[in-house]
Parts: sequence; structure tokens; C-alpha cells
Amino acid sequence: MASPSPQQPSLFLPEAPKRRRLLEILGAASIIATYVVLVLTQPADIAAGPGSLAALAALGGFLLGAVLLVVAVLPTLPTSTVVLIPIAMVLNIVLGQFVGSTLVPFYLDAIGTVLVAVLAGPAAGAATGALSTIVWSLFNPTVLPFAAGAALIGWLAGLAARAGVFRRFYLVPFAGFFAGVLGGVVSAPIAAFVFGGTSGLATGAIVSAFRAMGDSLLAAITKQALISDPADKAIVFTVAALLVYALPRRTAFQFPFVRRHRVLAGRVPAGGETAVKA
Amino acid sequence: MSRGSLSLERLNPLTTLTGAAAVAVITTAAAQWAFSLTVLCGLLFLTLQQVRAAAALRAAAAILLPFWAALLLLHGLFFPEGRTVLMALGPAAVTREGLLFALDAGLRTGVFVLAFLLFSFTVRVPELLTALSARGFPPRLVFVIVSALTLLPAAAQRIARIRAAQEARGLVIGRSLASRLLAARLQAVPLVLSLVHESGERAQALDARGFSGRQRHSSLGAVPDSAPQWAARRVLLVLCLAAVAVRVALALFGGRA
Repeated sequence: MASPSPQQPSLFLPEAPKRRRLLEILGAASIIATYVVLVLTQPADIAAGPGSLAALAALGGFLLGAVLLVVAVLPTLPTSTVVLIPIAMVLNIVLGQFVGSTLVPFYLDAIGTVLVAVLAGPAAGAATGALSTIVWSLFNPTVLPFAAGAALIGWLAGLAARAGVFRRFYLVPFAGFFAGVLGGVVSAPIAAFVFGGTSGLATGAIVSAFRAMGDSLLAAITKQALISDPADKAIVFTVAALLVYALPRRTAFQFPFVRRHRVLAGRVPAGGETAVKA
Repeated sequence: MSRGSLSLERLNPLTTLTGAAAVAVITTAAAQWAFSLTVLCGLLFLTLQQVRAAAALRAAAAILLPFWAALLLLHGLFFPEGRTVLMALGPAAVTREGLLFALDAGLRTGVFVLAFLLFSFTVRVPELLTALSARGFPPRLVFVIVSALTLLPAAAQRIARIRAAQEARGLVIGRSLASRLLAARLQAVPLVLSLVHESGERAQALDARGFSGRQRHSSLGAVPDSAPQWAARRVLLVLCLAAVAVRVALALFGGRA
């Protein structure tokens, strides 16, 4: 089970080659710049129709940023993490659909992303989030523009794990809540400018309520996202934490990120130490 | 397997991918509901020429019908920017501008969804990945996408087997939320454990076969391509850039964003 793996690189470690570091910076800059441009230049009057330039900027900027991050991060990951990413992508889809089929009133589609982020770090989490969205778009193209938001959730989950949040279970929902706030804020312009303000009946009803109070489209969608996303991500983080805790300790501690940053409480098991030395 | 000369399956996957992206970008840049409607009709006609037309249209309907209903609810009834009120319904008001906004956004999204679904339902994934590898895409990226697409049906079957095994051990999914959550845990944990366990074995096998090597990976197969398709991809890219440039120019000098 334990595999010899090189040290887990991250978005901030100095050994990353310059070209990849540049791609990471460009990817992050593209996402941030797109968001700032969208918020600053949002169409003041939408009565003439949905903004075309804003939609193009949201589509191009966020997608470019997500792709650059994936291309920069993926070659730096150890094999044990790379093989985990497709599993996380499958878990995102299968567990999300399964939860839906049990009539639990949530659609939890980032459990795999957070699971990988906790086991393998922020870079792996970001790559998993973006790639998962890209593969899912083969079945549902409307998720494609949200790749940057999914990458952000994975990255934040990895940062939370590195900070030791998953050592104390009671902190996990709060970390998910905070990640959901940021994820919702980043995703709101996409829903507003690419899809005309909605991505489904349930969210559309909440946006309608805010619009009825006279809010602008972006303000209404941002408020809707701030209601839906934090609760959803708090549950996603909690479920992912429970799954990580359910893993045998030797399995969880085989990941260098878990050992190096003491992501989980307790001592490194004997098998885990063997994996480190191998 | 194809229905006729308009079958997209015989094309190089990069050509259909470029075509889908170009259609989405140009339609968004044009920002005219009449243009979007024309493109949507063209895509519908093209979809009907494909072998998997019924499946593609079912998938498109499953995505678009709830989306269009939500757009109609949102902008048809609540559009504070609307000036021409067609019908007042208490706090809600049906406005001409709101309906046109919903029509514009709905058709544009319809084009986006149908264009990419047309690509998804006509592409041969191994050919796409071979073509991407041949153009220098990271082999790890190709591996991740192939693995996910291969694992997806296998994981769906496995969760069905886990559920059957747990039911044989006495699992009964009741109506209460607690019962459903317990059932979810009893199925999710074995699924995750087995998948993570297998990933460790797969990592060892891949490392033993030089997966982490930095050399360029060779491919056993080659995806057919042709000069006209190569030219068509370039033309589509130029058209995309031109459409975006015109839109930017209109925004800067004509005030139309």
C-alpha cells in the first residue's frame, strides 16, 4: 500500500521550477484580475440584455486561470497523489449523485476535492477541483466556467488542512463555511454574466426574492451564493473529514503532506514511518 | 456507424472541440438573440445527423429545461430595470426587457450547452487524449482524465454492489434523515476505502513502469487529421479572435458592452 513518494511540492515551495511558478502566478493572477474586472466593470444597465463582454471575460479569464494552475501543478505532484485525483473526481460525481438519490436536501459535489486537499495539500486540491469540473463538463457543460471556483475550494481546503484545522473536528465546519463564502463570491459573476443570473430552479427562486427587493443582478446572486455555498461547503468539509478519519491511519499517513504538516491528530503509525523512509 | 456526411465522429477530436468553443465564443460575442436562435437551430439540425442524437438531446433537455424555467421565473417576473410593464402581479411585474433578457440569456446558454454536448457525444475519448498527448499536453493530465472516465462507471457499479452487500447484512434505508445518513455512511466509507487502497497499488505499478519519468511519452496510435481540418481550426480561431476584438471595440467606442 505504502509507496515511495517524493516530497509533496506546493504552490509556495521554493524548489518549484521557475516556469511552473510563473504559470501558477499567471493562473492565480488571471482569476483575481478577472474577478476584479468583472466587479468594477459590471454593466450598469442590463435592460439592453446580458453583458457580452462580461460573459467573455468571465468565461475566458476564469477558465484560463484554472487551466494554467492545472498545467503548472500537475507535473509537480507525486504519483501517489496523481492516482488519487481521478478517484476524487469520481467521488465528486458518484457521492454527489448518491446523496441526491437519498433525498438529503443537499447536492454535495466537492467531497472528493476536499478529501484530496486534506490528504495531499492545497496544490493537489486546486488541481482536483479544476480537473473535476472539466471532466464533469463532458456531461454537463454548464459547470465548465465554474472551474476556478472549484479550484479555489480545493486550495482553501488544503490550506485549512495545513493549518491543522482537521486535527480538531469542531473547527472543520467553520473552515468549510469560510471557504464557501469565498467560493460563492468568486462564482457569483459567472452565474450573473455567463448564465443570466441562475443555474437552477432552487437558486433562481432565492435570486428572484432579492431581485424583488430591488437588488442589482450581481448583488442578488452574490447574496444567494452567500446563503447557499457556505452551508453546502460546511457539510462537504465535515463529510470529507469524517471520511478521512474513517481511513486506516496507516493509509492516511502514507501521504507526505499528512505527515509533514501533522494534518491529523495523533502519532504517525509504524507503517507510516516506513513509508517516509522508503 | 455514421448517419451521413455530417457525422462529426469521423473528424479529428480537436476539430470538433475547436468548433464547439468557437460557436460558444462567437455567439456570446454577437449577443443577439436572433443570431443565437439561428445558431441553436443549426446545432439542433447537426445533432439530428449524429448516431447518438437521441441521447445528446435528452442530456441537453435535462440541463436546459430547468434552466430556462428558472430564467423565466427570475427575469420574467422580477426585473427591476424593466421599463415597459406588460403585466403587474403585486410585487412582481412582467416586463418586455425582462422577457428579452431571459430569451437572450436562455438562447445563449442553449447554444453553449448543445455545442459542447455535441462534442461530448461525438468524440472518441481515446482519440482526443492521443491527440492532446501528441501536441505536448502533460501525460499526467491525460492519465487523470482517462482514469476518471474509466473509473466512473466502475465506481457506480461498485456502489451498487456495496449497497447490495450492506442490505444483505440488514441495512434498511428508512424515511428519516438519520436513517438515510447512516445508510450513506455505510456505503460511502467502504467505497472510499477501496478506491484509496487501489490508488496506492496503482501508484506503485505506475512508478515501476516509469510514469514519473521526464522523457516524452510515445503513443501507439495516431489520430487521423487532414489539411482541410487543420485549416478549419485556424479559421475558427481567427473568427473567435475577430468576434472578441469587434466586441471590445464596440464596448470601447460604441458603448455596447
